[in-house]
Amino acid sequence: MNFEEFQNQSRLYVIGALDLEELEGYEQARKDFGQKAEDFIGECYSMHEAFALSLRPARSSDALKERLMAMVRNRAKS
Amino acid sequence: MAIDFSSSTGVPEDPAAERNVRLPAAAPVLDPGAPSDLDLMHGIQAEDPEALSQLYDRYNGIIKALILRVIHNEAEADDLLQEIFMEIWNQAKNFSAQKGKPLGWMVTLARRRAIDGLRKKQAYARAGERLQTETEQQPDAWVHNATEEEISFSDTRVLVRQVIDTLPVAQQQAINLAFFRGMSQREIAAKTNTPLGTVKTRLELGLKKIYDGLKELRDEL
Repeated sequence: MNFEEFQNQSRLYVIGALDLEELEGYEQARKDFGQKAEDFIGECYSMHEAFALSLRPARSSDALKERLMAMVRNRAKS
Repeated sequence: MAIDFSSSTGVPEDPAAERNVRLPAAAPVLDPGAPSDLDLMHGIQAEDPEALSQLYDRYNGIIKALILRVIHNEAEADDLLQEIFMEIWNQAKNFSAQKGKPLGWMVTLARRRAIDGLRKKQAYARAGERLQTETEQQPDAWVHNATEEEISFSDTRVLVRQVIDTLPVAQQQAINLAFFRGMSQREIAAKTNTPLGTVKTRLELGLKKIYDGLKELRDEL
């Protein structure tokens, strides 16, 4: 696998779309390309943020936050 | 027509209703002196509830939109939103700034939880369908599979969307199914009745265009 093919597969990998039989070859290429591969995968994860930011923010109730914070404060105390 | 990545639920919303409600900003602009996301993550790692409270205020709208896009159910989305922020609290020690930004970490975590939730729901639905067949009850009596809902359309809202909009619809659909439904290439091929090679090409081309487009945007800013 050359680096361009690795880049193509990395973009699939970060969104979980790589099929199982491709994973083994991908993981081997990831090891072979070393830090260069890790840097590229890190950049690909920025797509996750972008997809989330492309959505219209949704509303949630104040009660939900109150419940959450009560649980968190209890957890923090214990 | 383009696949709508901007609506949180995939259901067109009432613009009149929206005017009366204050929505959180998509990418919050921080007040001068406000803690950065990284500061807040460090606060959570130090078990400061106030840090989680601020992170929640900043991002609950985006995270809930992401959950809704996957599971399409308001009550379940609220439950999951609460669970995800509890997980952020519990797992904050595993966050490393060297591996990425806090928002990216939260989105990855939220997406995984939402897709897990969707799969459980699909499993329940399949079990329900089997039960219905076996007992010869009326079809569609109580099982509603949210994944079969129509993907809807609406106007472009954010800059990122401009990049996504440049893609052919088939590429957008493939990416939508992969990212928001957690489907593999084979699953997408089966669902859309498309050859596997075509799905692979659509995903690769579409994701490369998005990746390049976002890189260009970042370079311009």
